Amino acid sequence: MIEVEALTKRYGSTTAVDGLTFTARPGTVTGFLGPNGAGKSTTMRVVVGLERPTSGTARVAGRRYADLPAPLHAVGVMLDARSVHPGRTAYKHLLAMAQTHGIGRARVREVIAQTGLEPAAHRRAGAFSLGMGQRLGIAGALLGDPATLILDEPVNGLDPDGVLWVRRLVRDLAAEGRTVLLSSHLMHELALCADRVVIIGRGRLLADASVQEVVDRSERAGTVRVRTTDPEPLARELLAAGAQVTPQEGGTLHVRGVSVDEVGTAARRCGATVLELGTESGSLEEAYLQLTGDAVEYRTADAAGGAR
Amino acid sequence: MSAATATPQTARATTARSGPTFGRVVAAEWTKLVSLRSPWWTAAVTVAVAGVITYLSAQASSGDPGFQPVGSLSTGLALAQIGPLVLGVLVGAGEFRTGASRTTFTLVPRRWPVLVAQVLAMAAFALVTAVLATAASVLGILPAAASRGIAVDLTSGDTPGLVLGMVLFLVVLALLGLALGALLRRTVPALVTALLVVLILPIVLMTAGDPLVGGADPPSIGLPDADPATTVLGTLAVLSPGGAAQLMTTSASAGPMPGSPDLGPVGGGLVLAAWVLVVLVAAAVRLRARDVR
Amino acid sequence: MTTVAPAARAAQRAPRGAPARTGPTPGRVLVAEWTKLTSVRAHAWLALGTVVATAGTAYGLGLFVRPDDGRSGSWVVTSGFVLAQLGLLVLGALVGTSDHTTGTARTTFAAVPRRLPVLGAQVAVTAVAALVTAVLALGASYLATAAARAGDAPALDLAVPGASRALLGFVLASVAVALLGLALGALLRRPADALVTGMVLAVVGDQLLAANPGRVTDTIRALLPSSGARLTQDDAALAVLDAATRGPQLGVWGGGVVVGAWVLVVLGAAAYRLRRHDVR
Repeated sequence: MIEVEALTKRYGSTTAVDGLTFTARPGTVTGFLGPNGAGKSTTMRVVVGLERPTSGTARVAGRRYADLPAPLHAVGVMLDARSVHPGRTAYKHLLAMAQTHGIGRARVREVIAQTGLEPAAHRRAGAFSLGMGQRLGIAGALLGDPATLILDEPVNGLDPDGVLWVRRLVRDLAAEGRTVLLSSHLMHELALCADRVVIIGRGRLLADASVQEVVDRSERAGTVRVRTTDPEPLARELLAAGAQVTPQEGGTLHVRGVSVDEVGTAARRCGATVLELGTESGSLEEAYLQLTGDAVEYRTADAAGGAR
Repeated sequence: MSAATATPQTARATTARSGPTFGRVVAAEWTKLVSLRSPWWTAAVTVAVAGVITYLSAQASSGDPGFQPVGSLSTGLALAQIGPLVLGVLVGAGEFRTGASRTTFTLVPRRWPVLVAQVLAMAAFALVTAVLATAASVLGILPAAASRGIAVDLTSGDTPGLVLGMVLFLVVLALLGLALGALLRRTVPALVTALLVVLILPIVLMTAGDPLVGGADPPSIGLPDADPATTVLGTLAVLSPGGAAQLMTTSASAGPMPGSPDLGPVGGGLVLAAWVLVVLVAAAVRLRARDVR
Repeated sequence: MTTVAPAARAAQRAPRGAPARTGPTPGRVLVAEWTKLTSVRAHAWLALGTVVATAGTAYGLGLFVRPDDGRSGSWVVTSGFVLAQLGLLVLGALVGTSDHTTGTARTTFAAVPRRLPVLGAQVAVTAVAALVTAVLALGASYLATAAARAGDAPALDLAVPGASRALLGFVLASVAVALLGLALGALLRRPADALVTGMVLAVVGDQLLAANPGRVTDTIRALLPSSGARLTQDDAALAVLDAATRGPQLGVWGGGVVVGAWVLVVLGAAAYRLRRHDVR
């Protein structure tokens, strides 16, 4: 359980996090989304006590992180895959972490096996590929068998196998009743493995809802698409029924405000031949782009046009 | 955003497609140097330390009967020399430490022009710093000179040579640091080496040559030789980078240190320059022959 | 709320992890820091390099000692101290900064959020490593100067007042310099800054001030950490130093007190910064 309440973090005159409140619950994978510089990493760093909040609180398992009696057992953290001394082997890095909590070598070997690091365990971390570094970071997070996991961009740099593995891993961890807070820029990935999403922009909360709720908010969601031989009479019929109709090319209509059943009935009433009928589903990506459209700190001119 | 922008891009690219000329590389290195904060801080500290230490030193010795203000001129450089040395190391090793070298050497695959350009940019930056630090040193001796009513004349005798030597001293030390950084590619080893050869080695050699530094009992020391013959230690001292550098901040008429061959400031400068050249060539060879991480 | 079903699963979850899941104790943090120190090969090379450089310096200087120098046998053995303190300063600074420069600080302080036990453990492991390195360097220096002491240089005579203390002092002063490096590293968090500051405080400042003897400069010299080098001198050499200075006379252990005070003050500042400031 991670509870962030009215959290604000300022660096001089810039406000990285601005009155942020959200909760990541046990048994749930919570996706943490936001454009670059939105304050995701800062929030995560405050949660694990590396930085102190300017105001507000962040609690893990009901306590301030620094007050946890055994932080490694309570929270597994992977903030940056490069949080390793390049001259130290993966095994020794994990061993030193484990020793702070009296965790035995057997457990170290266990997480090395679990994350597929065995071939590289005794190589210096400086020579690791991005994906290997990522696996080492995840291994460190799993080390204490914690009830809460905080993973910043865990699939960054992983090969397709690795991405699949992380997806199954976080699902399994949540199914075991653990809290997982996961940030990523890969929307498709998050849509697949997150239950809830917390979306922030410029340090403020934009959305905190289930993935489905967020997807439903996207403009396209709930639009009925109908392709017919007779678009004009059908459009008239639908407008009369109180729907909003947007004609598209090739006899296709986008209809809002009525259900797919009603569109079918309307087609029968006016004798239009329906060639194709279905509901458009929104995507997390669309919903995200709409939500963060105003909150992007850096963006290219082209992308700004495209996002709209 | 694909089709629409692709056409103007190709048009733009066809106008000038020449690669990295040497002038461009120098301009790039200059931009890289002055766009960091550390060079400016280091330069400011160097100038301030030179002025303040010289002032304090001149004040401290202004009570001596034979006080010569110009004699205190280079005292601040004993500490201020660390500034350019460290700056050189940071710039020389910085690219490799941060991974910026990957960008740099994909842009300039021949590599060595980058090293030469770094030397030029660093020399220019260090020259400005050195002139300011020397000016600060001159300002530092003025109050002590005024208190004794001695006029400071920088144009007569050895003094112009001394001032020039002080400026070059700081510039060449910056280049030595740069060369060591470029050779060793890591800040800590390069910094340790630089501090070792410039600061520690002269102390060790001095300790060997001067029993008093080692804490010997004065009465048991034999009388100093009336005719100081050239000794092995003395020769090593002036041929080491640090000892040679120190010669550059002495007056031409000061005579040799005890036991050393009389190289004078020019000779000291040449010895130091030779060291810089050797290390730079080694760095260039490593740059050509070895992979860049 | 989609969380209802998983939350129910969470309630049924059996407690994981068989034995007691206790947190970081000072002893455990100490073991972890020892692993961190010994698992970086550069540290071992640095210690070895320090031993070799120290003995090499002592050997080189031993070649030039003549019987009428008035130097003692203990000086011949400890004369590599200048190099030893450089190496140990670097070692301490590396231990103090490497967490911050490599990003390991994120894992270290996430595991030990109270932070100060980490600094305490680093002090302990650095002291042990410095102690071992200094003892080895002293032993190597002793062997390296055996030929010189058999020749023109004076023999090592522990009956000379303060001679055995000078040998012990070599080790103590070395440990103190390593801890000063650690403290500066933990305070400044960047190795270059810590090294330059340490060098100025422990070596260069003293040399600079020695060029301008006087009451003020001699007092400052006495109060710099470089006074710790006095520990490596025997009684006669200390008497000469005290007779020459116009500042305070530090006596036999005064230099050690000065450098010890520096270590404590800088460590205090580092602890304050560690407690109060964010970790990157």
